[in-house]
Amino acid sequence: MSLNRAVKPFPKEEISFSLPEIENFCLSNGLRVLHVKKDTLPIININLVFYAGSKYDPSGRKGLANLFGMVADEGAGIYDTLALSDELDTLGTSLNINRDSDSIYYSLQTLTEHYAKSLDLFCDVLLSPRFEDAAFEREKRKILTRILQIKDAPDELADIAFERIIYGDDNPYSHPVFGYADTVQQINNAEVKDFYKNFIFPSNGFLVCVGNITADHLKKSFEDKLNTWTIEGTNNFTLVNSKETAPKIYLLHKEGTVQSEIRCGHLTCKRNEMDYFPKSILNMILGGQFSSRINLNLREDKGYTYGALSRFNYHKDAAHFYVSTSVGAENTANALIEIDKEINKIKDGISGEELKFAKSSMIRKFPSNFETLRQISVNLIGKVVYGLKNDYFNTYIDSILKVTKEDVNKAAADNIFPENIKYVITGDKNIIRPQLKNIMFADVVEINSDGEVIEG
Amino acid sequence: MPILDLQYEKYKLSNGLQVILHKDNAVPLVSVNLWYHVGSADEQRGKTGLAHLFEHMMFQGSQNVPKEMHFKYIQEAGGVLNGSTNFDRTNYYEKVPSNFLELALWLESDRMGYFLPALTLEKLNNQKDVVKNERLERYDNQPYGLAWEILISNIYPDVHPYNWATIGSINDIENYSLEDVSTFFNLFYSPSNATLVVAGDFEEAKAREMIDKYFGSIKSTNSVSHPSVKPFNIKKEIFIERKENVQLDRIYFAWNSDKAFGADDAALDVLSDILAGSKGSRLYKKIVHELEIAQDISVFQYSGKLAGHLMVVATAKPGNDLDKIKKEIIYELDILRINGATEKELTKTKNSIRSGFIYSLQNLDSLADQLNFYNFYLDEPNSFSNDLKRYDVVTNEHIKTVAEKYLTAPFVELRITPNQ
Repeated sequence: MSLNRAVKPFPKEEISFSLPEIENFCLSNGLRVLHVKKDTLPIININLVFYAGSKYDPSGRKGLANLFGMVADEGAGIYDTLALSDELDTLGTSLNINRDSDSIYYSLQTLTEHYAKSLDLFCDVLLSPRFEDAAFEREKRKILTRILQIKDAPDELADIAFERIIYGDDNPYSHPVFGYADTVQQINNAEVKDFYKNFIFPSNGFLVCVGNITADHLKKSFEDKLNTWTIEGTNNFTLVNSKETAPKIYLLHKEGTVQSEIRCGHLTCKRNEMDYFPKSILNMILGGQFSSRINLNLREDKGYTYGALSRFNYHKDAAHFYVSTSVGAENTANALIEIDKEINKIKDGISGEELKFAKSSMIRKFPSNFETLRQISVNLIGKVVYGLKNDYFNTYIDSILKVTKEDVNKAAADNIFPENIKYVITGDKNIIRPQLKNIMFADVVEINSDGEVIEG
Repeated sequence: MPILDLQYEKYKLSNGLQVILHKDNAVPLVSVNLWYHVGSADEQRGKTGLAHLFEHMMFQGSQNVPKEMHFKYIQEAGGVLNGSTNFDRTNYYEKVPSNFLELALWLESDRMGYFLPALTLEKLNNQKDVVKNERLERYDNQPYGLAWEILISNIYPDVHPYNWATIGSINDIENYSLEDVSTFFNLFYSPSNATLVVAGDFEEAKAREMIDKYFGSIKSTNSVSHPSVKPFNIKKEIFIERKENVQLDRIYFAWNSDKAFGADDAALDVLSDILAGSKGSRLYKKIVHELEIAQDISVFQYSGKLAGHLMVVATAKPGNDLDKIKKEIIYELDILRINGATEKELTKTKNSIRSGFIYSLQNLDSLADQLNFYNFYLDEPNSFSNDLKRYDVVTNEHIKTVAEKYLTAPFVELRITPNQ
């Protein structure tokens, strides 16, 4: 055989891929609907999304949106909590209310054969939640205990402190979705019921449905169930711009931890702004995947960590850039130095090879972003939440193809600011402090587990 | 159900490599999923973690693939990839656009046949550091992170190959030499000890030709012998208490149970779901929902090729002690054992399992892995329907029988409590 293994096989032809067709319509109560029909399996996936995330939490009541989401499916219509759960399990249907900083998601996944009954239960939860006091108190105790448990988890502590520090206390994106112990403690059931009135109404959200159902059937079934649902609430929201403060190292002490959790970064511009694609390519090269500069340096070269990454994290109305890793405690300062090096170096420009790799990877990966119903739903939800243009998916590949090296280098110049970076470290200060003495690029302050400065 | 009946072709190359082809052209993707029939159960005491460290080394390049390039070539093609190790097996997988099937086969075959020429001490030392950090991140630095290791080292005796965790001990990891790695490769990474699944959008004749071209000439080494063990049960209760840097008390129970696809395995899964699988399940309802003495409860049947165990885990709400939680758990287990489950409970659990099966078919990666899974444990890749049938036929009598048989035996109890 004359097989030459040294030659990497490469296809001569490209594959053809057709995007799922998205249908847009509105129900008579004004609810916007996006629908994709996919019949390969007898499954239907539905997400009803409301602009009702934790950024709307009033001051002193951080965690309200989250607690609302926890209580809202504790009994509905004729069913109490356990009866409702039993009904869903008997169908093999999953119904969850998920919460993040921007939105509340009523999510349903069901087999086609149980669609009608599942929809009944879904609409019970949406239209007739019970909000019983006992359920409210129980869920409140549950989340307070969960918040207590976060003190054990160095990775979560680092995430929470980092976001609080870069956004600053006045910014609605600064607090964790589940709030703080003292603010959750203040919330009462009347506020949860008010939240429902103020945020859960047709024109404050949209519906995404993907799977084994026709648009006509979907429309008719929802029209029948939701024709009386028209309440209008008011959701007020003002974004307070964060103030830039001097870079610092914020140290959260956890006695006896064998690794240090590191988060560092700064605020950046929003998702729907012009340079999204150059920024995505930039991040792929810097720390967005396994073969990125940061991961290859910290993991495959130095062996400091099991993995390191960078990301532009996009909320609806704000965004930040960050690097995240956990490293052996003895290598904390070494890791900071390498991260700092990579962040500075990316501003010197990328190579043509790196650009080619990143574009090839993103373009060729595109079809696999539409494999499962959930993936398709997530894509559609992102399109609406971020206000992306109508032909976003159709022009996705072209948008990547036309990015030049200069575009990426400009994205680095416009979006990465080494001099503004704030560092958060969760770990054992007795091991970390002596190492930090040798790297003088920022002052060190200590913080508590809520991310507040306790010592200057 | 026809969607659970998956068509496939299965054959063997002359070097012993098993091949399974399953066509599904719903999306223009193809999954390559390779199982080597070696896991941490094939290790020796004092040499733990080698199967997993070896998995890392397989991503460090081979004769024609420089370090870091295995990942890079697949990512450049828009693919995703990874590997994982457990007690019984090590798997490697790539999901790529269908026109890149040949690339994935080339990469997998190069490391199957030509791994050793590219092995260096520098790569080994680097991956030892990475794996040590993996252990620290996922076990040592996690709250309650050592519980699994403690439980299996007690529920399985010292001589049992499931006695140590797949990640291995730091000390063992530090001591591996190049010779350990190459010996391990020669022992276990023979084509005759592996099964290749290709699933997705491809032309069968072309796939067969490519598989032959890349894998056909790889020589088989000696045949592999795997450990065998006699069924084992602990003879008396084992009680362990640990103080850790945590906020809340947590209690664990473990009983010796049945192995994967053993006669009682599915009934134990059903029993676990009835006890803690949902809000309305017995233990959740009692100790989390009604009494609120626990923050969470989980019950699961872990089953491997050689053995299995059933675990119960509950975290106490602040101010509640573990004795009270233990009393409730034991009480509910007794009630289930004596009175059995209701018809409604059985229906609920069976329906949830059934829809879970169908939901899981959406992802080509997990489908390909499942074909290898069934082939490995049952010697029949198309076992979705039969697997589901195992659950459908579980009766109330069977639930009572397995509760009696396994849950009245001595168990391991582990308590992890705050150290101040």
